[in-house]
Parts: sequence; C-alpha cells; structure tokens
Amino acid sequence: MVDKGQVISLCRFLLRAGRQYPDYNIREYAKRRTLDGFRMNKNLTDHSKVVDAYVEGKKQLEVVERLVKVYLAYPPKTKNIMELKLQ
Amino acid sequence: MASMAAASTSLQARPRQMVTAVKCFSQGSRSNLSFTLRPLPTRLSVSCAAKPETVDKVCEVVKKQLSLKEGDQVTAATKFAELGADSLDTVEIVMGLEEAFDIEMEEDKAQAIETVEEAAELIEEILKAKA
Repeated sequence: MVDKGQVISLCRFLLRAGRQYPDYNIREYAKRRTLDGFRMNKNLTDHSKVVDAYVEGKKQLEVVERLVKVYLAYPPKTKNIMELKLQ
Repeated sequence: MASMAAASTSLQARPRQMVTAVKCFSQGSRSNLSFTLRPLPTRLSVSCAAKPETVDKVCEVVKKQLSLKEGDQVTAATKFAELGADSLDTVEIVMGLEEAFDIEMEEDKAQAIETVEEAAELIEEILKAKA
C-alpha cells in the first residue's frame, strides 16, 4: 500500500539527493528527470502500477545516492558557464 | 505614652505622604503618555507573522516556478492550489525556496506548507534558528 505522502516524500528525497552533484549537467538532469518521471505517472489509477512505479523510484534513489559519492570524488575543476550569473 | 502616640501619628502621616507622592507620579506619567497608537504600516493588509521582505521573495520564487504572468496576484494568503499547483508543483516550489534561502526544511514541516504565508513563516523560523 503506497499512499500519496510516501510518493511525495520519495520525490523530495530524489530531488534532495540530485542537488548534491557537483557537476551542473547531471545535477540539472536529475532534477528534470525526477519531475518528469513523477508527472508522467501522476494520473495512474491502477494501484499495482503505482506500487511498481514507487519501487522503481526507490531503486533510482539508491542509484542517485551511489553516484553522488562517485561524482564527489572527482569534482569538476571549472564552473560550468550555465552556472555563472549574468553580469 | 505621648512619645508613642507621636510615633504612631508620624508613622501614619508618612504612608499618606507616600500615597500622595505615588498618585502624583502616576498622574504625571499618565499625562506624558499620549494615547496615539503607532501608525501601522499600510502595506500589511493581512496580519502575517512573517516579514514582508520574506513574503515578497517567496512570492517571486512561486511566480517564477509556476510561470505566472506579471498581473496575477500572489499575496500572503494565497494557497498554492489556487494558483493551479498540484502536490508535485508544491514540492518543486519548496525545493526552489530552499535553494533561494539556502536552508534545509524538514520533511513533515515541508509537507504541511499550503500557503505563501506558511512558507514564509517556516523560512523565518529556520533562519532564526540558524542565526
């Protein structure tokens, strides 16, 4: 049984984990992908599908957290141009 | 006997003097205190516990996240649902606020946010605790 609160929590955890990447590209991708993924499955009515999607999301959360550690070991040397503020 | 009577009368006299002195003091201070209240800032129409600058910044982030036009009204009492945001949009807004103010909100508190005012109050609480 997966309820709405759990889904929202999972979304929040994924967004928070994705924020930790030092690389701009993968950071933005993680944020975009989680929001797109949750929005795509927003209107699911079949509860077994909802549970499947939730389990998939949990797996992705593990992947993201593992990758954060790897990326933090090799941070980029220069800032990406997209991160610089317009002057 | 006489000395005792004199002492008693003198004791009685002294508190009366003190009472009159106290009365004068209170009367004097009352006349100094004028009853004009401090004029409330006319900008704050909604009685909000959060500062207006925080509320304005929150409104700005919300407007950008939901891509609202300039004319749309976003005030302290606006609910995110009224602006057409569902729960996922609310999560996105809260994340945007966390980044804008450089804070970390707790899970259950962040889930309870429904209006601009609640968000601003929670942000101020966290900023105060950090300082």
